[in-house]
Amino acid sequence: MVWAPADPGIVRSVADNPGPHDTEILIRALYAEHGRSLLAYATRLTGDRAAAEDVVQETLLRAWKHADDLTSGSGSVRGWLLTVARNLVTDRARARAVRPTEVADVVDTPPVTGDHSESVVNTMVVMDALDKVSPEHREVLVQLYYRGRSVAEAAKELGVPPGTVKSRSYYALRALRAVMAEKATEVSHE
Amino acid sequence: MSEHDRTQLGAYALGALEPAEVAAVDEHLATCAECRAELAELTEMKELLGEVPPEAFLEGPPEGGDLLLQRTLREVREPQAQEPQLLEPQTKPKRRSRWLLIAAAVVVVAGALGGGVVLGRSTAPDSNEPVAGSKQVTTSDTTTGATMAATVEPRAGWSWVRVQVSGLKAGDQCEMVVTDKSGRTWVAGSWLVSDKAAKNGSTFGGGVLTPIDQVRSVEIRTVQGKHVVTATI
Ligand SMILES: [Zn+2]
Repeated sequence: MVWAPADPGIVRSVADNPGPHDTEILIRALYAEHGRSLLAYATRLTGDRAAAEDVVQETLLRAWKHADDLTSGSGSVRGWLLTVARNLVTDRARARAVRPTEVADVVDTPPVTGDHSESVVNTMVVMDALDKVSPEHREVLVQLYYRGRSVAEAAKELGVPPGTVKSRSYYALRALRAVMAEKATEVSHE
Repeated sequence: MSEHDRTQLGAYALGALEPAEVAAVDEHLATCAECRAELAELTEMKELLGEVPPEAFLEGPPEGGDLLLQRTLREVREPQAQEPQLLEPQTKPKRRSRWLLIAAAVVVVAGALGGGVVLGRSTAPDSNEPVAGSKQVTTSDTTTGATMAATVEPRAGWSWVRVQVSGLKAGDQCEMVVTDKSGRTWVAGSWLVSDKAAKNGSTFGGGVLTPIDQVRSVEIRTVQGKHVVTATI
């Protein structure tokens, strides 16, 4: 079962050894698991690898400084990191836009339209919901929606018949809805 | 498409069917309200997926070495090497605590998992538990006849708002709009009222990036802009 901790012993040994390297362990672990995702996202938003690296570095530093937020249970860690990265990119674009001498930079920056902050929390909520559906369901949504594959392509990729891809994508959306409904219902139980 | 082949509707909503299949589904949808209602629900989920960027599903460290990691670690080490009294308060973790350690531990073991991991599920109190400092308001709108119980829960710099609304019609497309004290509005999500929700009341929750003490009111309105009910917090 993929979702079970691979080795609970690691949890215990790290948690029981609050040595001087704990922050380093956190940063290394975040980098190893989320680095590619963060850098690819930041690169797309900034259109610039160097700027994207700065964003990733700052995001990891913020994760370190705000470990409390990261563990508050309000969404997935990756959702939190991607959200912080997006806000940093938005802030940089704004800061640049008010410096008239760097007009050339503004042209190179993808336009930041409006304010994304209203969708910020939703990113975390949806990622949390995606964490809660089964791996098969998540995978079919990733193939069809996020990678834009057709049913036939996804069937090949996943090694299942096209009919299975279709029914699975249907049940995946239903499952997602059930998770979202459950979130809404659970929070109304007091 | 055969009658009520709902399993086609997921791929249809996600835009993954072949043109001929799409045409067949369209033909059925034109005559079947039940499938149209189902499709509306699935489409709503597809729109939620749009909140998450595709890069969220890439795994592992960046390609091309760990220079970036080393640079980041240097940033972390430098302030720590100084005398404690020279540290600026904000460069120090708020609570350099077991949370940090547990976070690191869970991330370490979660390395093989896809799509991130919710640390709070195993290490923090359930986020859905009632939270100290929540505000609750129940209100009715005499014009529209709708009644709403709204609860605003404090989170770290943002708020979770959930509502129980009765007096909605099945098929209504509603949105929750939160107004803060500066007059700024935030859409905290939208949903379609099902038959069941029209009968038993519709429950919905959403987050807004404004702290609880800044939340002034919560309004439910239709996506078309018709007012339903407002609670002043
Ligand atoms: Zn039908």
